[in-house]
Amino acid sequence: MAKTTHFGYKEVGVDDKQGLVREVFDSVATNYDLMNDVLSMGAHRLWKRYTIASSNVKEGDRILDIAGGTGDLALKFREKVGDSGQVILTDINGAMLEEGRKSLIDRGVFDVEFVQANAERLPFEDNSFDCVSIAFGLRNVTDKEAAIRQMFRVLKKGGCLLILEFSKVENEMLEKFYDFYSFNVMPKLGGLLADDEQSYQYLAESIRKHPDQEALKTMVIDAGFDLCEYQNLSGGIVALHKAIKA
Amino acid sequence: MLRLSLEKALNRLIESSGIDIETLEGKKINLELSELNLALVFVCTNSRIFVIDSREVKNVDVDIKLNKDAFLSLLGGTSLDELLDNEEVVINGNVKVAKKLSEMLALSSQDIEEIISHYTCDIVAHQIGKAISLAKDKIANNTTNPIEAIKDEVSTILIAPSRSHFFSNKTS
Ligand SMILES: C[S@@+](CC[C@H](N)C(=O)[O-])C[C@H]1O[C@@H](n2cnc3c(N)ncnc32)[C@H](O)[C@@H]1O
Repeated sequence: MAKTTHFGYKEVGVDDKQGLVREVFDSVATNYDLMNDVLSMGAHRLWKRYTIASSNVKEGDRILDIAGGTGDLALKFREKVGDSGQVILTDINGAMLEEGRKSLIDRGVFDVEFVQANAERLPFEDNSFDCVSIAFGLRNVTDKEAAIRQMFRVLKKGGCLLILEFSKVENEMLEKFYDFYSFNVMPKLGGLLADDEQSYQYLAESIRKHPDQEALKTMVIDAGFDLCEYQNLSGGIVALHKAIKA
Repeated sequence: MLRLSLEKALNRLIESSGIDIETLEGKKINLELSELNLALVFVCTNSRIFVIDSREVKNVDVDIKLNKDAFLSLLGGTSLDELLDNEEVVINGNVKVAKKLSEMLALSSQDIEEIISHYTCDIVAHQIGKAISLAKDKIANNTTNPIEAIKDEVSTILIAPSRSHFFSNKTS
């Protein structure tokens, strides 16, 4: 029997998931930034700021932002590393990369490099980055373990991995509200504002299928990282995992 | 929050003073302030320092234990040798490494005293106070856009990082 994996709440063939994810992001790409602001009520900007503040990145560093989409993290990293540093934004999806490129150019940033790549097979040398980040991308990757192993491979010794992702809410009341919001409000808003209810239904489902804080921490350690800690943000709606390669 | 502030203070010191941290490279140093129920691990790697909150890191290279008064006098400039002579500090591991870290802590003492005092007092007041003083610092240093600096700190307060977990998979 063919191997299967989840695509939201659906079971699909392992080989089919990537194409389905691509369709979702092809479909949301043009409205992505607007929808992010609306659906998270602006909170995604705060989560990303906290990620940058936790990155311990300095001038001259080489940074890889995986599944970088429209470039929010890449832009902030660029400010931190300065002219002597380098920021590379990768994403599997051409439409998202195109939005990212436009968005950075609109903000006067011309020297972030864009590379279309699957997180499971990064086209970069071993031990070549000071920091690798992935924000709201990992849950869409079919083979998450392989992707984290790749992140480990390309990081320098002492390099830092940051995974920002939706996670498990800590508080029962908040969880109830959050479930209602994700499954009733979010897809409807997606339908209303972006004419795309289905994609936002997938986004809500994919969040629930993603490993929780502890499970993800174990995956990170299993990939070879020496240290991994996580911080729950907004009551665990989102968690930031930070790991160091010894 | 506390760790992030400490991490920022130390790395800012490294960058601004050009201090040589070669002695610390690759070292993990545990600092325990028993009265404050505070155990931090300073992971020194890739020419910077990460501050990790954990008593679970088994494989530290150096272990420093001291009480609050000793820590404050260290920040005030008392040498580690003097504290060792007076048996106010217990060090397991390479004393040179411990000394280097203490020197750096003493050099960042202004920042650190504020961080620690707020850790032990009013957390919210601390966060706001820190946000303002960090933002002021950044404006004074003119290292980055002041509005961005303020936004960074304020966003950290708003999303309220709540818990931290940590473990190490290496035993040696
Ligand atoms: C929700 S968006 C996040 C974009 C951006 N990082 C942010 O935080 O706004 C998820 C991104 O993951 C990308 N993605 C999905 N699967 C991927 C894979 N296997 N490798 C790399 N990127 C992938 C999508 O194309 C999409 O741009």
